[in-house]
Formats: sequence, C-alpha cells, structure tokens
Amino acid sequence: MRGLTTLLGDSKVLGAHDDLLIYEYDGAVDTATPDAVVLPESTADVAALARFCHEHDVPIVPRGAGTGLSGGAIPVEGGVVVSFARMARILEIDVPNLRAVVQPGVINLHLSTAVAPHGLHFVPDPSSQKACTLGGNVAENSGGPHTLAYGVTTNHVTGIEIVLSDGTVVRLGGKAVEDEGYDLVGAFVGSEGTLGLVTEITVRLTPLPEDKRTLMAAFATMDEASETVSAIIAAGIVPSAIEMMDQLATQAVEAAVHAGYPLDAGGILLVEVDGPRDGLDEARARIEAICREHTATEVRVAASALDRERLWAGRKGAFAAMGRLSPDYYVQDGVIPRTRLPEILKLVMEAGARHRLRVANVFHAGDGNLHPLILFDSRLGPDELERAKAAGLEILTACVEAGGSITGEHGVGMEKNCYMPLQFRPSDLAAMRRVKDAFDPDGLMNPGKVFPTPSRCREFAFASTAR
Amino acid sequence: MIARAVPADATECALILAEASRDRHTVRIIGSGTKSYVGDVGPTDLELSTSHLAGVIDHVPADLTVTVGAGIRVAELSAALARAGQFLPLDPPHADQATVGGVIAANSNGFWRARYGAVRDLLIGTRIALADGTVARAGGRVVKNVAGYDLDKLLVGSFGTLGVIVEATFKVLPAPVASSGLLARFARSADAFAAANAVARGASRVEACVVEWGEGPTWRLALQARGSGPTVERAVADARREIAARQGSTHELGNSLAAMRELPARAMDGALVRVSLPIAAASAFAETAARLETLAALVADPASGVVRAHLVGDDDAVVRDAEALLLAARVIGGNGRIERRAEPLRSRLPTWPTPPNGDFLMRRIKDAFDPAGILEPGRLAFP
Amino acid sequence: MTGPVPLPYPNADAPSQELIAACVHCGFCLPTCPTFAVLGVEMDSPRGRIRLMKTVWEHRLGADAAGLDDHISKCLDCRACETACPSGVEYGKLVEGARSQIVVARPRSPLERLLRTAAFEWLLPHRRALGAFAKLSIAAKRLGMGALLRATRVGVARRMADLLDLVPDRASASPLRAMPARGEPRGRVAMLQGCVMGSVFGETNAATVRVLARNGVEIVDTIGQTCCGALHAHAGERPLARDLARRNIAAFEQAAVDAVVVNAAGCGAAMKEYGWLLKDDPKWSARASAFAAKVRDATEFLGDLGISERPGNIRRKVTWDDPCHLLHGQKIRSQPRALLAAIPGLQIVPLEEADWCCGSAGTYNVTQPELARSILERKVANIVRSGADTVVTANPGCLMQIQSGLRSAGSSVRVVHLLDLLDEAYGTN
Repeated sequence: MRGLTTLLGDSKVLGAHDDLLIYEYDGAVDTATPDAVVLPESTADVAALARFCHEHDVPIVPRGAGTGLSGGAIPVEGGVVVSFARMARILEIDVPNLRAVVQPGVINLHLSTAVAPHGLHFVPDPSSQKACTLGGNVAENSGGPHTLAYGVTTNHVTGIEIVLSDGTVVRLGGKAVEDEGYDLVGAFVGSEGTLGLVTEITVRLTPLPEDKRTLMAAFATMDEASETVSAIIAAGIVPSAIEMMDQLATQAVEAAVHAGYPLDAGGILLVEVDGPRDGLDEARARIEAICREHTATEVRVAASALDRERLWAGRKGAFAAMGRLSPDYYVQDGVIPRTRLPEILKLVMEAGARHRLRVANVFHAGDGNLHPLILFDSRLGPDELERAKAAGLEILTACVEAGGSITGEHGVGMEKNCYMPLQFRPSDLAAMRRVKDAFDPDGLMNPGKVFPTPSRCREFAFASTAR
Repeated sequence: MIARAVPADATECALILAEASRDRHTVRIIGSGTKSYVGDVGPTDLELSTSHLAGVIDHVPADLTVTVGAGIRVAELSAALARAGQFLPLDPPHADQATVGGVIAANSNGFWRARYGAVRDLLIGTRIALADGTVARAGGRVVKNVAGYDLDKLLVGSFGTLGVIVEATFKVLPAPVASSGLLARFARSADAFAAANAVARGASRVEACVVEWGEGPTWRLALQARGSGPTVERAVADARREIAARQGSTHELGNSLAAMRELPARAMDGALVRVSLPIAAASAFAETAARLETLAALVADPASGVVRAHLVGDDDAVVRDAEALLLAARVIGGNGRIERRAEPLRSRLPTWPTPPNGDFLMRRIKDAFDPAGILEPGRLAFP
Repeated sequence: MTGPVPLPYPNADAPSQELIAACVHCGFCLPTCPTFAVLGVEMDSPRGRIRLMKTVWEHRLGADAAGLDDHISKCLDCRACETACPSGVEYGKLVEGARSQIVVARPRSPLERLLRTAAFEWLLPHRRALGAFAKLSIAAKRLGMGALLRATRVGVARRMADLLDLVPDRASASPLRAMPARGEPRGRVAMLQGCVMGSVFGETNAATVRVLARNGVEIVDTIGQTCCGALHAHAGERPLARDLARRNIAAFEQAAVDAVVVNAAGCGAAMKEYGWLLKDDPKWSARASAFAAKVRDATEFLGDLGISERPGNIRRKVTWDDPCHLLHGQKIRSQPRALLAAIPGLQIVPLEEADWCCGSAGTYNVTQPELARSILERKVANIVRSGADTVVTANPGCLMQIQSGLRSAGSSVRVVHLLDLLDEAYGTN
C-alpha cells in the first residue's frame, strides 16, 4: 500500500477499509474485497503500477464502470483493482479514416454521441451502453442487440495499446484494418483482463444507416414468437436486431419506461431493419406479414424516432428494471443455435420451476443469445443464491448440449469459470492456456477468471458435453 | 525426399504432427497450394495435405452457419450453399482453387470485406490439430460466443505456423436476389478515389468498390451491388451520380472485378506489394505508386484500405520501389508485406523489412504452440 | 443464545432496507452523477453510496464511520441518478435517511453545531430574521466585504466570501399578496411564500402571482405557512423538517384550494414528499399524503393548465436549465419548456447537460466548496457555449449559484426565473 502511494501519489490510491468495500462488487452477484484500488491517469501510471505489482507478486484486476455480469472486475484472489474512471478521454475522432482513438474509461454511448454529428456511430450497443466503458467492452468482447447484423466489439476494434503484467507497454494494430503477423488484437479482445490492461483503443466508426424500421410484435406464447424468428431468417431477411421478451420481463420494463408493450402478451418481439431507405418498407412489410402468419396478436411499427427510442429504452433498461420484481437476479448468457429456441426456452422455465424461482427472459433472439434472469432474494438466506446458481447451471448445460455456448457476451469471469469444462475439453483449454502464458507468464492478470481454478472449482467435475 | 501425408481425420492429423515434433521433422501444410509464395518456406521433411479433411459437415440454413472440413474448396462450398439459397460472403483470390483452410491460414480476403467483414469476422469456430498431438476446438457453432479466448483470431493469418486447421464454422448469409454493377473510367486518381469513397460511405451499401490503375494513366472504378431489387437500383443510381459528378465515363462491368481480384495469381514476375492502410490514405498511396516506373498493376480497395501494387522490371528498380512502398505504408500509419516475388528477388527482398508490433508476443505464442518449430518454418520469419 | 443484534442505525429514519433492495447495482447511475464525474471514485457515486448504506445494515461499517459521513456529505442530492435508474430506486429518500442517521451518530464540533442551529432553527424558519440576514449580506457585499474577507487568508473567512458571491445584488422581501383571477376563473390556489424566495426573491413571488392571475387563477392568502423544511431534510435534520411540515400542512389545510403552488423547485420536491416524511406519524401521515398530492410546481401547474392569455414579445436568446429538484425530484420536463416556447420572439437554444446539477444543492456551497465550484464551472462552460444571452431556470438556489458562476467567469449572461420572464412578457403586452 505505502509503496503504491509513494509511487503514484495519494490521490491515485485508495486503501481505506470503507473505500475498498465499494470496489468489492460489480453488476453481477459475486463479491471480493481488493487490497487496494488504483486510479491511474495515464499509460505511464498503469505501467508503473504493473511493474510494482510484478515486483511484489500482486494480482491486478482491471475495472471499468463495474457493470459487468460475470464478476470480471472482482478481485477474487485479492490484489489491486485498477479503475479506469479517470482515463476517460476521447483522444481523437478521425472522420476520414472512420476511426476514433479513446481511453478505456470512455463510456460506450458517449463515443457514439460524440461522433453522431459526423453521421457515424460505434456499432456495439450493449444494453448497459449508457454506463459501460469501452475498456470493459474490449475485455468482454461485448455485444448488444444490433450485433446480429453488425458484429460485436472484436469486429470494431483495429488497434490497442496494452500494458502487460510486467509493465511492458505494447501497441498492437492501429488504424489500418489489420496488421502483419498474428492477430494479437483479435486474441486480446474478449480476454477479460487476463492478458493485460488496455490503455488505449482504436475503434472503427460506422456510418449511421440512412433509415430504420422498428416493429414490435406481440404473441400469445413464447413458442410462437420463437418460430417467427426462424421464419424471418428463413425468408432470407437479416434484420439488424431481433429481440425477444417474455411476460414477466415485459411487466418490469413497462413499470420502468412505459414503452407501450402489451402486458398480456406471452412473448414480444422487437425487430429492426436498417440500411438504405429504398428496401426498408419492403422488408418491414415482409416481416409484418410473417408475424401475422404466426398469429401475432398485435404488430406495431414505430411511427417516429421518439416512438422507436421508447421501444428500445424498454429493451435496454430491462435487466436494470428487474429491481422492480426482485432484489436480486442471476442472469445467464447462454447461446444456442436459433433453431433450437422453443425447446431450450422450455427447459429454461423448467429449471426455474424445479428450483422454485421465477425466471424472466429478455434476449437477443436473432443470435440465439438467451438471457434468463433468475430472480431471487438474498435476504431470505444463502440458499436463494445457491438455488439460482443451480438453475443457471442446468440452463447452461442445456445450451451446450444444444451445440451452443455458456456465454455470448457477458464473459466467463469468476461466475462461469468452473463451467468451462462443460463446453471445452482439456485440450481446448490447454490451447487457450498457451496464449495466457505468452502474455502473462506469472499469472498476475485478473487471476481466478476464465480458466477453472482448482480451489474454487473442486465441486464441479464435468466432461464436455459439447458436440 | 519429401514425404507426403494425407490424414483422414483430425486425430490422425494430430498424430502425424506429434510424430513430426518428436522427430523434429519440418512440416508444410497444403490445401491447394495456391498461396505457397508467401514468406520463405524452403523444402520441408513432410507435406501434409488437407485434401481428405473436406466436405460440408453441418449446414442448418435457418441458423445461418455452416461447418466444413478445412480442405474443401471455397468454390465447392459456395455451390453447396447456393443450393440452399445462401452464400459465404468471402471473395478471396485464387477463387477456383483456394481451400477454406488456406483462406483462413492466409487471411485471404477479397473486395467484399468492407460490406460483409473479413475472414476474422465470419469465422466463428475451428478445430485444429496441434503439434503436441492434441486436437483443440476454438469458438463454436453459434454466431455469438465469448467463452474463453478467441483462438480463431490467432489462426487467421497464421499460415499454419500454430497448427493445422481441420474444420471451420462460418456465418453465412441469404443469397441476394438482385445484382448489378458498373465500371467507370477516370483520368485522375483523385476523382476515382473520391467517387469510390462517396459510394463506399454513402447510404446505399455496395458489395465491392475497387479502383484499378492502368496505363495511360487511366483509373478504373469497378462497383458491384447485390441485395434486394430496390437497394441494388438505388446503389447503382447513387454510383452513377457520383461518377458523373467527377467526369467519369461508365461502362459495362463485365468480368473486371474477377480480373482485379486475381492480381496475386497473375503477379508471377517482379514483386507484388500488399499494404493495409488507414482508409483515407489509400488515394495518396496509389498516386505515389503510380509515379513508379516499375508499376505494372495496382488494385486498391478504398473501403478497407488494402492496396496491391505489382512492380516489374529491372531487379534493382523493383527492390528499390518495393521497399519504398512498404516504407511509405508504414509512415502513413499502415503496414504491409512483399506478398509475392519472383525467385531471383527472394534473397534480396524479404517479405517483411521490419517486424510487426508485438512480435515478441508472437514468438512466445509460436513457441508455446510449436515448441519444436516444425510447422511451416520460415513462413512468418520476421526480421 | 446471543441477545438481539443491536440495530446498526440509530433510529427509524435510517435508509430503508426495502428501498436499498431495489438497487441491482447495474451502474447506470454512475455517468449521471456530478460528483463521480469530478472525483472518479465509486464511493462518490449513487451506487457506491447505496452500497455504503447497505454495508452499515450488514454491520460491516458503523453509522458513525468517517467514510460514510464523507461520501454521503459529498452527495448533491440532485437525484439525477433517480432519472437514470431503470429499477426506480428512490435515492433521494435513501440519502436523506442516511444523513439523518449520521447527524445523530456522529458527534459534531461545537462550532458546527452552532452553525447548524443558527441556520436551521433560527434563520430559515423565521422570515424576518432571514430577510434581515439577506439585507445584511447584500450590504456586506456592496461594501466589498468579499475582497476584505479573502484578504484575511483565513479559511473560514474565504468561504464566507464565496458565499457572499452567491448573494444577489438586490433582495426583495415583499410579502405574498392574494389576488383575484382575471378573466374567466380557471382555478383557485394557495402559494408557498418560501424562506429564501420570500426574503430574497419576493419579486419573483409577486411575478408568479401576477402571471397566475392573468391566466384565470385566483391566489388566496394562507396564514401560518413557514419554511418548507427541504434544506433541513437534505441536511439530515428530519425532526425539524417534520415540525415545519406539520405547520405547513395545518396552514394550507385552512385554504380550500385546487393546488398549493410552489415556485421553488427544491421546496416543491420536498413538499411532495411530506407523506414520506411523516409516514411514521399516525396522526399526520394521512393528512401529509393528502396535502402532498395537492402540491404543484408553478411551471407544472401553469403548463398543465395551459396559457390562456398570449404573452407579449421578448427578443432574446434563451436557454433552459432544469433545476434538479424539478426534473429529477419531480419529473417535470415538458411543462417549463412548453411555457418558454409560448413566449413569442424568444430564440430558444439547447443547453448541453441541462439535466446536470449546477452545484447549488442547498447548503452544498458551504459544506463542499471545492466540489461545488468544479460542478458550477462545468455548468457555466455549457451555458457560455450555448450562446444564449439569458439562462432560464426555476429555483432560487440555482438562480443564485449560476449567476455567481457566470459573474466570476466574467460572463454577461443573465439568469432569470421562468415566472419572472413570463411576467416580463406579459408586461410588454
């Protein structure tokens, strides 16, 4: 502690017990108290800090806005939490090259707002985009509703500056679409802070679509809504987003934002198409027809930009609105081939019922990326979280058995690292481990994440059920 | 005497690699062998062919994904997808022969990149046979997946130096129903690039938008739009307007795009320089290259910043100009390589004059995956 | 068996566990919090402060902890986080609850106790004393006391000097007068005179009355009304706030009116929460809720009623700054904008971060001078950038704070209350 203060100065180091308590949690359910919190203001600060930690064999855990949903920013093995709240400047907006250079603490939406006057945006739009940072997006390879057509964070990052756990500063990639040699930028994005600390990011900016059409379709059942999703894709239409919500989620959302979703619907779809104006009405009409063929009880087309914003505000505020239904929720992020939606959704609800917990669903149906929100109340005792986790594990097992993944955008973190063997065989994990060792041979970067750890994962012994 | 192995499956492939590792036998991996000109691989002890690791393994049209053996030719995969009304949105050079594995390993992209993404964006899963005899899977068969490290990205452009890709899963798209294109000629490069940029950044999303230099000089702009009827009409109308505004003449597209794409296949003499630039710099770079006496062909994809320049003539002049172009690319924030050069130039013109950033990390990764150094020695030999 | 665990908080005003449970720590509030923007540490974010309150309930932190006091004190109580919160966390109630506990649990220095007593018990509830104090302050300012105080280089004196900067150049303590409706009667209301409004912004009160009357609203006299107690509640002085609330409820119950109109956003927000303030008082809770339901901000009341007489022309370039306790505290957004738009001749320009606090926040200037200054500077920069010659708002604290900020930045931009502007517009008819 004292060494850190000497190195960086009082204002950049937190060590008081009361303060550390406030860095023991993020957007998910796991907690652990750090030994110190450092608030760097430059790459040099980060490098100095890393050298210090390397010398003293102290774990380093990066933190953006702490909105993560897999415990990625939790110092499960102690050490120093590095908050990037003070490295939050947009360094450059390069319109001719369609790039922006930002510090990791810049908030996702702030970037899109800053470049909007140039008719551009940053494509990945996680639901937490009002709060989450681009550094966090890089760590988690964040997605969002519009990744169906436009890809996730990794498809929109062309360069990074990183600090390795020994304090080495490396710049990878740049403004060009690719660099020579191995795609280290690609390997780093989504590594959840386990390979190094990102201190600068060069992102791709994308021209805003000329126009959009947004539809809300209500169905009596989730099955009908799921089948509609497959039918839209089968018709050769690739919308920019297809989101689905069940009745319980709709109720929470309506209370929060009054988006105008019908409360009596069993399932709701939010479908958006965008692009050149000329093809949009045709696409919208086709989607509308498909919804009606699948017995939609109501189809509403957003009449104005405001109307569209309201429909989206409902979707994007959905997780956070769960506080209206339950003091705690445990959200899963499994992915399945979208053709398996109806059967897996059924398994999800059965898992909830088995553990006597309510489950709300609000998710990226077009990607097959489920988000069952398992509602519980930790005030009723530790058993609540245990049951929520048990239900979650059953859901993830079903996802993997269906040929899917345990996480589509939230990351593995400390929440699902013990479940990695569900999806990956030892040889798969060993291959990943080689990359880890190349970047962080001493294992100081965000330990206890992504890979199963013997101490915490003893009770789980899985054989991969993946196809 | 070079031995040849044709493994029938991933396990056999891994076993062959394990033996080679043990015996320190060097291995060269061959799909169709179309891009063997990249880098400096000499003769190896073993040639491993992926030709039996082929075929479509799984295709669920409604999931918009396809899983194939790495040895399948892209053309064959495209035909299979077309039967289901879908397509793999990649248009790499060596279109007739290139295999899926080779396209991944060489990060071989065409002109559709800005519209649909590159290999790295479309590949969602792989199976690889590793030098230690194990088979590892990376990614999966679902379109969204952040479980563990994205090893697929490392494989793209790794030229087989980390392992043998035996299976790959891609995102695919519904086949467009309408298609149209046109060719324009300009006297000045600035006009050609300005028109290309206006079209590429405009609201109507074209599929390909390529500028080619020709003797004269003339600058040709090839444009292709595919999609629904109204979007294609709109794209062509927009393009015509932008071209007319810059005094370009319009012509039939014909086969021009394919010819432009196949420049690497044709460039057997002299040197082929390939650079990747910040997109706004492509125009100035092309203009600079056009002043070189050795320039025989130049094809630029302004929307992705990838430019290829084919230089021919006196060896000294080719070496000098190729080095100058690579240096220029670096100075303006890009990077590049000598993608192909005639045999006599090999010793004088290294593929990479300078190492890329992070090369020490690349070396560590290479050592971790292939400690005996048997895979594709010399292929990614950075200085 | 062990005995019952002692409650971690001193009394029933503690931040309720039920309200805390609504927070799912999603972090959506962080970017909307002015103190987090300046300090960049999570203890000084809404989510962090709620977490602090929670850790007290978990017996991991004492209600008297210095850290708790520090971070809860730094909160502006601007409630921007409430607007951002999808889970509907009632943060204002939580932070005021926490303050009420810290006031009890943490011993204060004799000087601080004296200052609190002076401000909360002597000055604010007594209009004449406050009026006299205001006059005295203005006189001090005219005499150049600010420079004198700063020259002493004594910390307290310099803080006093900063405070003097806030004091407007003129004070008007003209008392509120009843007025009959003009034209077709459209309503009958009582009005809160307010402590600061009454003693410093008497002219604004008079303007409000005139504007309402012109629009067919009768304003009746209310005997016995007093300070609303908002500042007390913000500072954690809940017993005092409750006393004032009871007196106001009793006073306004005498008048049979459609609404109790308030032209100070901070007061209106507090009065709308009288039901919550007195929820544990069986004799008063129902009366308090009934009263609270009648409270309307002046811009809300007039905006909902609609303007019946067209105001005259004003040629000026204006921008609207949302008072926090209007926008976030009372969720009033469209009505003041509609009223502004109803004045012909105005050129209305957008203000970046109009939904951000100006740093006034009750006694914040006194307790957190440096933070208040950074937050004010951000507001002033946005106002200057807007290009407006006049910034319009609707709360006395904001009026004083923004005016002082603009003055020290050497800007000539004027700050006016929306009702004053409307009154001026009617005057030009």
